[in-house]
Parts: sequence; structure tokens; C-alpha cells
Amino acid sequence: MSFLQTEVICHSRKVCSLYKRALRNLESWYDRRPMYRYRAVLLRARFDENKDVKDLRVAQQLLDDGEKELFSLIQYQPKKFPLSPGGVAYEREVRAPDWVLDYWHPWEKAFYPDYFAKREQRKKEYVEWWEKTYGKPAEQGH
Amino acid sequence: MVSMYLSSMLFLLSGSLSCLVLSLLCLKSGQAWFIEWELLSLNSSSIVMTLILDWMSFMFLGFVMFISSMVLYYSGEYMHGDSNMNRFMYLVLAFVMSMGFLIISPNLISILLGWDGLGLVSYALVIYYQNEKSANAGMLTALSNRVGDVAILLAISLFFSCGGWNFLFYVENMPIIGSGGLLCGLVVLAAMTKSAQIPFSAWLPAAMAAPTPVSALVHSSTLVTAGVYLLIRFSPALEGRLSQTVLLLLSSLTMFMAGLGANFEYDLKKIIALSTLSQLGVMMSILSLGYADLAFFHLLAHALFKALLFMCAGAVIHSVKDYQDIRMMGGLVYHMPLTGMCMNLANLALCGTPFLAGFYSKDMILEVAFMSPINLVSFLLYALATGLTVCYTMRLVYYSLSGDFNLGNLYSISDEGKIMTNPMMGLSVGAVFGGATLAWLIFPCPYMICMSPVFKMLALIVSVIGGVLGYLLNLNAVNYNLNSLKYYNSVVFSGSMWFMPFLSTYGASKNFLGSGETYQSVGDMGWSEYYGGQGIYSFIMSSSKILQVFQDNSMKIYMLSFLLWVIVLVFVVV
Repeated sequence: MSFLQTEVICHSRKVCSLYKRALRNLESWYDRRPMYRYRAVLLRARFDENKDVKDLRVAQQLLDDGEKELFSLIQYQPKKFPLSPGGVAYEREVRAPDWVLDYWHPWEKAFYPDYFAKREQRKKEYVEWWEKTYGKPAEQGH
Repeated sequence: MVSMYLSSMLFLLSGSLSCLVLSLLCLKSGQAWFIEWELLSLNSSSIVMTLILDWMSFMFLGFVMFISSMVLYYSGEYMHGDSNMNRFMYLVLAFVMSMGFLIISPNLISILLGWDGLGLVSYALVIYYQNEKSANAGMLTALSNRVGDVAILLAISLFFSCGGWNFLFYVENMPIIGSGGLLCGLVVLAAMTKSAQIPFSAWLPAAMAAPTPVSALVHSSTLVTAGVYLLIRFSPALEGRLSQTVLLLLSSLTMFMAGLGANFEYDLKKIIALSTLSQLGVMMSILSLGYADLAFFHLLAHALFKALLFMCAGAVIHSVKDYQDIRMMGGLVYHMPLTGMCMNLANLALCGTPFLAGFYSKDMILEVAFMSPINLVSFLLYALATGLTVCYTMRLVYYSLSGDFNLGNLYSISDEGKIMTNPMMGLSVGAVFGGATLAWLIFPCPYMICMSPVFKMLALIVSVIGGVLGYLLNLNAVNYNLNSLKYYNSVVFSGSMWFMPFLSTYGASKNFLGSGETYQSVGDMGWSEYYGGQGIYSFIMSSSKILQVFQDNSMKIYMLSFLLWVIVLVFVVV
């Protein structure tokens, strides 16, 4: 598990997660839509077969077997959306937000004195313009 | 103001035309210019700056400049809107300059400048996009190529015994040089890293993280051919060497591995990269059989249609909004007919379809190889790789061009603007006529081919079988059971380039990182710290404390030392 689990995850959620991952895996293997739909229906039938199992020990075993089966058939190149994490175009262009410059160390800022002097001046002018246009913000009580 | 892509294109295109004309002049007159400046002479070894301008360097330079000009013009639209477009242009121009430097250098030191320049600029181009994937790919690329750089440096040091680094003077006489075998081995090693032969193959598909125009120029037709070019220049020295035999085996394996991998790959650019790898294997293997002219011929013909193929792939990727997965494409020939036509042209040239660029070089290479006394393994790998090339090409055609439309969203897919399609058309002309023209120019006398009809037809037979299999295997019924799942382990093995990316990264660094950690915990933070830093400190502290007591002028100490001396004197006297 690549994240810190901070809550108890119930059995049904685990089953739903397995089902979704299995569907995504099928989608990666069967790349034509009709073929994928056919397999998805068969997969749904397999899950539905055991939906009324009341004995949690049996249900847990089924879940473990399902996870193992999925792991043994996982696609070596799963489909990814280009702009999502893991996708080919994910975070291609990183634009640092403007406020990052305010967190520069004074020594770093000293390399570009003119730029930062102008920047401080502009910030001051912007605050003045804001207060002139929208008024001063109300005093915050502690 | 003239855009940078346009001015760069014009500049490179004029350079390309000049080089091609000069190449023809050199071919016709049989002349070659050798320009040399002596910089320093040390212990009878002279350090000289040398340039060689013969038909081969002019022709290669002309091709590099032509492809670069097309790629830069194409980038004008592909990279449009990118925040660092100028940086991109400068990097590509720096790359062309390094490549030019490498091509005209017959000196091992000056070739290192071009060689290292290529490594550095290709790293900067691979990490052009700022994501983690690019950073990892860039590091793999840079470090794999670094092995080759070190090999060149070692070769330079060995060349010192020859009294100069102009290797062109020595390649003919390499057998009489004492360390000739080692020297050839090092040069072959360097060429193998640059041309991504096994076991250095992992970086080439990884380098597809770079923008597509970069892939079209750098990772298909120029950078990766630098290794082949170096070996072409070195080829007389390799004859009869062990390194030649090893190179034949490894290049045949690369050819087969890449062809097989491309059949299980889903990333459009990586499929083309693997096909490049396969063709590099073809060039290297024919080179190791002693036919440098054929390797050079295939290098040039391949550069034309592979750059075109990458450009078409870029147009497709641009159109389908950055998807590179061929499972998300299909039916594009109806929406992008011009791109589809160019892509098919490049694909057919790659397969060696008669009278297209690839046919002349590839067919001749196969026939010459089948005539040569090669071993059975290499022969089988040649035949299988030829079939696999057509197989993955047909698979690619099915998935991206002719199969069902499979894109998740319906974007407005169409042929891109003229800035992208014009260079594609320019290279298409090269992909059609390039092979025949080169064959007429480079081989004024035809090769004598003498073989049985079975061997003559073998290339055609394996190609047809490969093509039919590649297309039919993908036409599945709805309730079809995937055979890939039945042979899961073999499929994963083949589709992951025989786990080479894993072995080149984790496999190569695991033991060194592990031993580094052990050394740090046992040495730096263990014994060395206990007896070194901390041990010396506590020893000096405790000694100082004792000395301090002596220096406190205590009466007890005086009495004690008096007593000690009395005891000593008593013992001495008695």
C-alpha cells in the first residue's frame, strides 16, 4: 500500500475496488470495445455469483483469491490517460506559482535586486489599488 | 520578423544542398580533402585539429541537415505554444552542430567533442519536458552513453602509443599495433552504447519521453547512427577480430529482440523506436560481416523514412490530444488521409517493399548476409527479424490506421496545418526515391548476388508470412480468448524488452547502492567513526586531562614523582 491508511476500509469497499481494477485491467487487455464489453459482463457475473455470501471468512478468502488472480494477469502496459499521473504527458510543463518568489531566501533575492525592488513596489501598488477599489479589509478578531 | 523555425529551415536546407552537391563532386572526381592544424606536439605525439571532407562525410552531413531542416520546420507547429520554444530550437541546432562535428572528424580527440556534445544535447532534449518520466529517461540515456564516452577516452589513451590520434591513418595497420584488439573492442563498445545494442538497448525506447520532433531527428536518424558511422570509419580495423564476432551476435540479437518487443508494445513512439533499434541491429550486423558500404547505404535510406514515420506519429499524437497508446487510436486513415498516406509510405519503405527507399538497402543486406558464411543462429535471427518487422508494421497499420475507431473522445481529428504536412511531403519524396538514387550513386558497379532460389525468395516469404500474421492476429471475434493471457510470462518478457530497462536501471545500480550503504554503515558511520573521528577525539581528550593534572602544580604530583625517582635510584644503586 503506497499510502498511509488512516481509516478502516470495509469489505464491500475492497470488493468494489477489486472490481474496478479488474475492469481497468480487462480494458487494457481487450482493446476493442465489443470484446471488452463481453469480458466485462462475464466479470460482473463472476462477482455477482458471490454477492450473497454471508460468511465473512469465505468472503475474505474470495477477495484474497481475486487479488491474486488480478496480480497474476496484470497488464504490463496499462492504459493511462495522458494527463493523469503515470500518463505520457503528465506534468510536462510545470509553471511555478508567483508566490514561490516571496519564499526565496534574502540571499537569493540579493542576486536580482532590481527585479525584487520593482516587485515589492508593484505589490504595494496593487494593495493600494485594491483598498481604493474594494475598501480596507475588516479587522480580524483573534 | 521571420520565425526561427523558418530561418533555421532555410539555413539548414541550403547547407544540405551544398553538402549534397559537394558530395556528388567528390564521388565523381574521387577527391577528398583532409584539413589539419597542428596545435601541440608532445613527445612526438602531435595534437592536431583535423577535418575530413570526402563524399561520405558530405553526404551524411547533407542528409542530417536535410532531415534537421524538415524537423525544425515541422516543430514550428508541433511545438507551437510551448513556453520554451526558442530553447528547443537552439538545442536542436546545437545537436546538428555536434553531429556535424562528429561526421567530419577523423581524429579520436576531436570526435570525442562531437560525441560528448551529442550525449549532452540529447540529455537536454530528453529532459525537455519537466516531468519525472523525462528525468528518469534522461538519466538512463546519459549514463548509458557515458559508458561509451569512457570507452572513447580509454581508446584515446591507448592511441597515444601510435603517436597520434588520426585514426584514419592507423585503421589499415591496426593488426600490427600491440593493443589493437583492445582498442577495437573499446571502439565497438562505444559504438554499441550510442547505437543502443544489447545490453545498452534500454535507453532508446525510454528516450521517447522527448518531444516527437526530437525523436524524429535524434533518436531515429542521427544520434543513434553515430555509433554505426564510427564503426564504418573503423571497419578496416575490425576485420578478423573477436570484437567483430561478438558484435555480429549482439547486433543480431538486438535486431530480433527489438522486432519481437515491437509486436507487444502499445506506445506508438516506442514501437517506432524499437523498429529503429531493429534496423540499427541490421546495420551493425552487416557491418560486422565486413560490408561497411552497405551499412552506410542502409543508414542513409533508413534515416529518410524513419524521420518521416516519426513525423507522422507526431501528427497523429498531436491530433488525438497527446494519446500515444495505439489502443486508443484506429480508423485514422479516414480522418487524416494525408498523414495516413505518408505513414503507410514510411511503413512500406521500412518493410522493404520493392522500389521504395528501404528495398534497395535492406534487400541487398539480406542477400549479402545470406551469401556470407554466417552461423545458423545469426541466419535464423536475420530471417525472423525480417518477418517480425513486417509483422509489427502491419499490426501498427491495423491499430492506428485501418482498424476500428477506438478513441475515447471524439476530437476534431484532421490533417494538421501545412507547417506539419509540408515537411512530411518533403521526406516522402526521399522515402520513395532516396533508395534508388543512393543505390545508383554509391554503387556504380552492382553487387554480384549468387544464391539458390530458396534463399532468394526467403526474404519475400518471411515478409509475406509476417505481414499476414501481423494483420490477421489482430482481427479477433468478440468472444475471442486472448492467447496473450495463456502465455502471460512469455508475453510480458517479450513486451518488456527482455526486462532490459529493469536490468539497466535497478539491476545495474542495486549491488553498488547496496555495497555503498554497507560501506557507509560499517565504515563511515561504524569502525572508521569509532576508531577514527570519535576514537582520536576521546584519546586526545583523556590524554589532555592527564596532562592537565600534571600541569596544575599539585604538591601530590611533586611528591609522587619524587617518590618514583627515589625508587628508581634505589633500584639503580642497589
